[in-house]
Amino acid sequence: MFPETLPEIADSDLEQFFQIMLTQYGYDFRGYAPASLKRRLGTVLKRYGLADMRTLNQRLLTQPDYCERFINEITVSTTELFRDPSAWIALKTQALPLFLSMPQLRIWHAGASTGEEVLSMAILLTEMGLYDRAQLIATDIDKRSLNQAQKATYPLRNRALYEQNLKTVFPLSSLDKYAREEEGQLVFRQELLRNVLYLQHNLVSEGVFGLFEIVLCRNVLIYFTPELQDRVVMKLVDSLVPGGVLMIGTKESLFWCSAAKRLVAINESERLYRRRQ
Amino acid sequence: MKGREVFLWVVGGSAGSFTPVRNYLHQMPYRQEMAILLCLHRMRNPRISMIEALGRVPEWRVLEPDDKTFVEGGFVYVAPADYHLLVEKEGYLSLAVDEPVHFSRPSIDVLLQSVVQAQWPRAGAALLSGANRDGAYGMYLFHKAGYFTAVQDPADAEIATMPEAALALFEPKVRFPISQLVEVTLQALSL
Repeated sequence: MFPETLPEIADSDLEQFFQIMLTQYGYDFRGYAPASLKRRLGTVLKRYGLADMRTLNQRLLTQPDYCERFINEITVSTTELFRDPSAWIALKTQALPLFLSMPQLRIWHAGASTGEEVLSMAILLTEMGLYDRAQLIATDIDKRSLNQAQKATYPLRNRALYEQNLKTVFPLSSLDKYAREEEGQLVFRQELLRNVLYLQHNLVSEGVFGLFEIVLCRNVLIYFTPELQDRVVMKLVDSLVPGGVLMIGTKESLFWCSAAKRLVAINESERLYRRRQ
Repeated sequence: MKGREVFLWVVGGSAGSFTPVRNYLHQMPYRQEMAILLCLHRMRNPRISMIEALGRVPEWRVLEPDDKTFVEGGFVYVAPADYHLLVEKEGYLSLAVDEPVHFSRPSIDVLLQSVVQAQWPRAGAALLSGANRDGAYGMYLFHKAGYFTAVQDPADAEIATMPEAALALFEPKVRFPISQLVEVTLQALSL
């Protein structure tokens, strides 16, 4: 009736959806905050012209190929180069200097999405002369986003914002150093990605897979229930070397998480923490 | 008062709403049994924050909530720039960076729909001046769910598009001039 209409989603259909995703594909959506999950499911139903949740469940059950596309639709990929520039300034001035004398710098981007955050880090490391020592691991639940991240190609309309954000963090730098326009797209230099490894990884169901000096997980926790967030934050902290740095989204909060006592704030308002020694 | 016992009062608006809302907050008597959720469209990287721009509001605690902030009475929660604000059934507020709705993030529709989805026990909403139709459908859902709805009289609104879009969908409990927003709020609370 109205263009804004989103289909109603019954709890019983949602339960069935959880079961299908878990048993057929190993994706556990039970810990996702219901308000936004229902919203996004509604958006997917509308986009594909599916009448209701049952039809979606049916499709997921019978068409395994559909799942990959669905995961891409249901996960949120809002990100940008140097999103929240003040947080990147804090990382540059308060966190990276802690590692200047380290022979290696292992960095994990948990929920790397379409790759803008990894590129931001690669630029930050390049500007600070730390890139060659760094190994970046970019993971996401969504394979399609990771493929896009590896292409490091973005709509040209983002250019002005990216340039502005970059210049906020590095006033003397310029996007031209790192990206060029090609066929109406903004293409970042592949050289920036030479130390980046892209892996599909499910933060909810898979365990810790390495130790890192820096872990970034921004605007991922907001999609989880408090219980799931608590579990995931524990994994993130377990992935840090003592003294390692954790960066989360600037509106995310972990003071109530059980892992919080293992962290000290470097910059609370920018959500930059350090694992206790 | 905390969590689902709190009366949620959503105020949504866009162009032409900011100054009236600031005045309203400064006049609104403190009520510890109610929380005000303010969802105003705004510039993405404003030079000063909305909290600063609102100034010191007597008694009420005004803040941009972090994700998973437990709802408390006596608070004014301002939807942060570039995030959707949602209400969760368990009594807390959550944030999301999903696509803008009607080019808006925060979106009034998203907030109102989340209150309805959460089947919050007591809530009401007012929709003010604005230049797009965000909020109209959410108000309609609110109305359908039996919550109190108030829409600013388009003739009184600086920009009538938003209230008109709502009035095209349903007849709210109250149409009001902005000067009466305090009274309308107290009326909603008393029901």
